[in-house]
Amino acid sequence: MKTTFKTLALALLIGAGNVFSANAQDATSILKKMDDVMYSSKDMTGKNKIILIDKNGKQESREATMQQKGTDKRMFRFTSPASQAGIAVLSLPNDLMYLYLPAFGKERRIATSAKNQNFAGTDFSYDDMESVLFSVKYTPKFVKTEANAFILELKPNASSDYSKVIVNINKENYYPEVMQYFDKAGNKVKEAKYTFKKIGKYWNAEEVEMTDLKKNHKTKMQMSDVKYDSGLTDDDFTVRKLKQ
Amino acid sequence: MNRIAENIVKFKWLIIIIVLSLTIFLGFQISNLRINADIISSLPDDEPVAKLYKDIGTEFGGNDMGLIVLETKDVFKPEVIIHIKQITDSIRYTQGVSTVTSLTNILDVKSSEDGIEIGKLIDENNLPDNQMVLDSLKKYIFSKEMYKGSIVSEDATSTAILFTLLPDGDNQAIAKEIKDKIVKMNLPGTLYFGGLPMMMNDFNDLIISDMVWLVPIVFIVIMLILLASFKSFRGAFLPLLTAALSVVWTLGIMSFAGYDLTIISNIIPVILLAVGSAYTIHVLNSINHIVLQDRKQALINALTYITIPIILAALTTAIGFISFVFGSYLTMIRDFGIFTAVGTLIALLLSLFFVPALISALSMYNKKETTDKEEKNAFLTQKILMPLAKTLFKHPKYTISVWTIFLLLCIIGIFQIKTSVNLTDYFKKDNPTRVAEDVMQKKFGGSLPVFVAFKGDMQSPEVLQMMIKTEHFMKEDPNITITQSVAGLIEEMNDAMGEGKKIPDDKAKIEQLWFLLDGQDMMPQLANDDLTKGIIQSKFASADNKDMEAFADKMNGFIIENQNENYHIELTGMPSVYVKLSNSLINSQYSSLLIAIIMVVLIVGLILRSASKGIIAAIPVIATIIILFGFMGITGISLDIATVLVASIALGIGIDYSIHVITGFNYYLKENGDAEKSIEQVILRSGKSVVINVVSVSAGFLILLFSQLVPLQNFGLLVAISMFGSGFGALTLLPAILILVNRKRKITAKNH
Repeated sequence: MKTTFKTLALALLIGAGNVFSANAQDATSILKKMDDVMYSSKDMTGKNKIILIDKNGKQESREATMQQKGTDKRMFRFTSPASQAGIAVLSLPNDLMYLYLPAFGKERRIATSAKNQNFAGTDFSYDDMESVLFSVKYTPKFVKTEANAFILELKPNASSDYSKVIVNINKENYYPEVMQYFDKAGNKVKEAKYTFKKIGKYWNAEEVEMTDLKKNHKTKMQMSDVKYDSGLTDDDFTVRKLKQ
Repeated sequence: MNRIAENIVKFKWLIIIIVLSLTIFLGFQISNLRINADIISSLPDDEPVAKLYKDIGTEFGGNDMGLIVLETKDVFKPEVIIHIKQITDSIRYTQGVSTVTSLTNILDVKSSEDGIEIGKLIDENNLPDNQMVLDSLKKYIFSKEMYKGSIVSEDATSTAILFTLLPDGDNQAIAKEIKDKIVKMNLPGTLYFGGLPMMMNDFNDLIISDMVWLVPIVFIVIMLILLASFKSFRGAFLPLLTAALSVVWTLGIMSFAGYDLTIISNIIPVILLAVGSAYTIHVLNSINHIVLQDRKQALINALTYITIPIILAALTTAIGFISFVFGSYLTMIRDFGIFTAVGTLIALLLSLFFVPALISALSMYNKKETTDKEEKNAFLTQKILMPLAKTLFKHPKYTISVWTIFLLLCIIGIFQIKTSVNLTDYFKKDNPTRVAEDVMQKKFGGSLPVFVAFKGDMQSPEVLQMMIKTEHFMKEDPNITITQSVAGLIEEMNDAMGEGKKIPDDKAKIEQLWFLLDGQDMMPQLANDDLTKGIIQSKFASADNKDMEAFADKMNGFIIENQNENYHIELTGMPSVYVKLSNSLINSQYSSLLIAIIMVVLIVGLILRSASKGIIAAIPVIATIIILFGFMGITGISLDIATVLVASIALGIGIDYSIHVITGFNYYLKENGDAEKSIEQVILRSGKSVVINVVSVSAGFLILLFSQLVPLQNFGLLVAISMFGSGFGALTLLPAILILVNRKRKITAKNH
């Protein structure tokens, strides 16, 4: 509540005629605003298209429907290719996942503590996919302001494969534009490019393009048919639902 | 012949300028010469096993695998775990590394009633620091087949850190960087570095150190011998100059033509220094012998006398080298043959054109003309050649009998010859790479990769079941402990789904289990993207030829039995390649030797216009080859990629001595008509250059004993022995035969 108030106050101040210059904004509040933009809706449903592009430019795509409630409940259900249709993944808090394979007609509980593993052949690791607030996961440091963006350097609070993440946050709307991931030797290993579009009152990440710079492999995640706040309940994120 | 000689003297300056400019041009090319220590790249493209091995290396990254072993008292100690993590991190953050797997970052998949738990065996961000945790970790690791003997040795004293490199990188340079970084950490315990990238990097270093150290030493040794025998600066300088120029030209041409220096062709300089100097020695020797007031005319006369024998000598030597082109399995041996032959011909051309031109242009005529009287008093003539000639005339039959008995003994030895193709044998016993390979063999099931390639639908139950069957069959061999394939992973996943450790019969199930494996680091190493090809990866623990051959035979039998229309199985890997290589060594030895002998006899016979002389000239070298193989059999020096070259080289160089003796004999016979007197003269005159040549060439090759590579050491020793053999044969066996043939002819002539 307090945070919301502070953000609101800041927004008002800025809106009131830029009393403070952008530089003066503190890094933490910028990052929190980004979180607000990314995780503001109560729930979301939509279609997700995953395009994998290898170093020779060869493409492979998968489609899934996605439902999300809050920041920590998510259901993925693949619709194509045919061989993977029906495979569903339910992510719950505390690194708990359930996997449903229709060919077996049963689900398995998957507890994964190996977060640096890639999710289902994409360039996103479980760590990247986790919907934990950035302001919880990272401690930000203000780097500089560019024409359209604030540049922050994020240091992970808990153990991570990354040493830092550099994020460009849109000055006007506070969504991330680019995130650059660095390994512990300081090499840039991954880069995510975001394209946001406003749907209703929320900003939606229409496309996220993640590039693994080492493997020269790319994954594009595209969202379509997005609906917000359609009233999903915890019952929609149960093992029983998973098997349907 | 006379006209050519005159023209050489006439156009001396033109010749000198051409030689100089070519030398400068080609000398600059050498700076672009690359070293390629990769033996895999030398495997032939037209041979299925080798091609498949190369293809798998490219497609599944198998050739880009490195292995580091850390050996301590006990791996399960907190500080050792920290060290493993340090090594792992240092490899992970090296540019060009694709994946690294070690105790501190390996994935651990546990399946239980409730589901699958995917985690790390050790949390690398929270390393275990108490002994209790480590003890239970040890217990857990040894209870699982996939860790024991692959990541931790069964005696728990050693742990392996595996890494793969990204394709298209400079593997050797990356391997070197990794090694340097880890050595610098100065960790307690012993570190071993293995795998092809590491081995290639070592080969690379050894090639460079051989080049840097051996070539100058060979140069100096030959120079000292020449100085001692000619007692003149010119006598030492000119032969070495031509040899050095031919080295520069040959390496320059190699670089210009886009060829690399390999573990075989790095001996080209040594060979050319030793061989290339011989032609100039003969030219000089010939000039020394012609005493005329008109120095120009003397030079022309000398050239007229020497041109045919040295063209013959060079041609036969070149044939010895060229003979490798036809029978060799490894392309690097073929390239070696071609370029050494080129170098030999360059040395010939330089000796015939450049040396006389230089002598004439710079007036480098001998200050002191040696007279026959002085010659007669020389030590070599007085103490060795004269008594030798006398003995030969007294006992030609004894000489031949002694030779025959000796050769029979050697023939017994020939049957003991072994082949050796294992790359680790090429390092000296105390070389760290060889020690590392031994450790890996003992503790981690070796480092010789074995691949069984499957073509077919990789998601079909039938193909995967066949893969499992093949893996079981492979494991029956005592030298195979671990196999890895996508079929094995599917079994694990099926087990995790609660349906038992087996391949499901339903393809849909396999497709969905595959979904779980997609994107795992190891997947590209086991199956291709199109799911049309997959491999079983394994390691073979023995480097013994017999074990490898037995395994390859057994596997090939199994494959033929199980092949069907839905899939195609093929076996490759280092054991299979080694078996092929080993067989090809023997075959190429036969074929190159046969080609060389036939060509040499033919050419010598043709030029001397006498078939019998061609055959007689070949007798001492054939005897030498018998000695050579006998020596190899008795001393246990095996036939390998370098020693396989010796026989043909020995033939090519050794025949020169016979040629000099026979042409000299012809020359004197024409001059005085008395065969016995001619033989005596030839022993005295050609004998001197033969002895000097044998000593200087052998000394040059013996320097290879200081080489870092075992095959090159053996190569040097064997060539030196061959040189002594063929030189001695040309001065004893050959004259004895000539004496007997001649006496017989006299007797038949009398009888008629």
